[in-house]
Amino acid sequence: MSKPHRNPFSTFGSLTLVAIAILLASPSRLFGYADPGTGAFLYQAVYAACIGGVFYFRKFLGRIFRKRP
Amino acid sequence: MIATPDARTAGSFRDPAGSVIRSRDRILRVVRPEFVAELEAFLSTQLARRLVESAALIPSERIPAELLEGLHADESLYEHERIPFPSYPYEWPAEMLHAAGLLTLDLALKALEEGYGLKDATPYNVLFRGPRPVFVDVLSFERRDSCDPSWMAYAQFARTFLLPLLANRDFGWPLQQTLSGRRDGLEPETIYRTAGFVQRFTSPYLQLVTLPTWLAAKRREDASLYHPKPAGSVEQASYILRNLLNSCKKQLNSAEPRADGDSTWSDYLDHKSLYSPQQLAEKESFVTEALDLVRPATVLDAGANEGHFSMQAARRGAAVVAIDTDPVVVGSIWRRARAENLDVQPLVVDLTRPTPASGWRNQECMSFLDRADGAFDIVFMLALMHHIVVTERIPLEELLALAAEVSREYLLIEFVAPQDLMFQRIVRGREVLYSHFTQEHFEAAAKPHWELVRSRQITGLHRWLYLYRRRRAKP
Repeated sequence: MSKPHRNPFSTFGSLTLVAIAILLASPSRLFGYADPGTGAFLYQAVYAACIGGVFYFRKFLGRIFRKRP
Repeated sequence: MIATPDARTAGSFRDPAGSVIRSRDRILRVVRPEFVAELEAFLSTQLARRLVESAALIPSERIPAELLEGLHADESLYEHERIPFPSYPYEWPAEMLHAAGLLTLDLALKALEEGYGLKDATPYNVLFRGPRPVFVDVLSFERRDSCDPSWMAYAQFARTFLLPLLANRDFGWPLQQTLSGRRDGLEPETIYRTAGFVQRFTSPYLQLVTLPTWLAAKRREDASLYHPKPAGSVEQASYILRNLLNSCKKQLNSAEPRADGDSTWSDYLDHKSLYSPQQLAEKESFVTEALDLVRPATVLDAGANEGHFSMQAARRGAAVVAIDTDPVVVGSIWRRARAENLDVQPLVVDLTRPTPASGWRNQECMSFLDRADGAFDIVFMLALMHHIVVTERIPLEELLALAAEVSREYLLIEFVAPQDLMFQRIVRGREVLYSHFTQEHFEAAAKPHWELVRSRQITGLHRWLYLYRRRRAKP
């Protein structure tokens, strides 16, 4: 059976949406008792969104350039 | 049966998972029942074993709970290795705070690979064995939610490591004042007000100061901010966290203190002291003979300058605590001790205003003198007396009595007469106050506490070296 064709741009689009969703989100659960700050906490959320986007972009590039068997 | 339950207030108590108790020479940790399984699981990991083997993490051993009087029935008890001389971040030069920060980040990165995280990131989690940092808070490790891309302790790491180091290096804010006055370090807003306009937009100020300040101004009242939001996948969460920790490492390295720092007291023995090489050799040989006679396990070098004699003692097997008031020279001792792997812990402590007890009820952190009381086989006070007596106006008798409180047995002290050039340089027209300050006066002042073992004059100088032994054993 032949492998179903994937449109890399639709994958990229959905990944971008995920990245934007993370950009708008705040980081997750409270672990410790240390004061998480306000500005530094928000900075971390923005950082997570940006780096999270990079993560998906790298994955996307990996899919494009991965050698098919 | 050990200790009293009251001692718990004197240790660490902020972590809801447990508290630390100091009981004479033992360090005990009480762990609440709901956190025992997690601690046991962590301690049995390869990660924990490797960290203990590499001396990065303090060893821990579970001991019978019955050993501690007053323990609740469902609490568990652990014993840790005792670090011989605990010190606090406000006694460290910038180099040591930097090293403690690097250790914290390295542990966080290693823990991340094994599914663990650090729930706090304060320099109080680190103590020093000689010049080497060791992480002492085993309860800081906890299993992380694998989809969580945030590090809750990030802000604390910035407040207590990164911002104090930056403010110290770029604005000259002394770490001693910054960290003794503020347990939880510096807020980004505090630095923002001081940073220059251009500086606010350059790295690492942009990430650590400017963006957090702007973001906080917009969202300060929003409590929903802290609601949990997981990442899209486990891999993505790890990727984000690894990058965050590595970026902290870069910022920490960009705030690293400069190795070429200069101060009044740096390069003292090489360029600024009045000792000729021959006279310095005489002093060294007196110190060597004293060390061979006393064979101390522990040494306090008070007024250590760049640690010349601390290193000499450490090379002969002693564990040395070297104190000086100048953070630049204390930092240089740390660099040398670390490079040569010598057991010297250098601290920024002024003997005339020693670190007070601090924290809640003045019981969280012990004073320097409480820690030093009877902790040293020998105390060095070389080229120090004239600074204490003239500059600080501490009576000679008081200095000798203090030495008897700190030392278990011996005192190696240099008497500097008023005719000495350095003495004259600091006396500044007040010679009449020291007309009685003779060698005979010094020896008489030492007599109530100290018995002479040997002494000698340094050829060509108005200076004498004395090795004394206590008259009465320390109670």
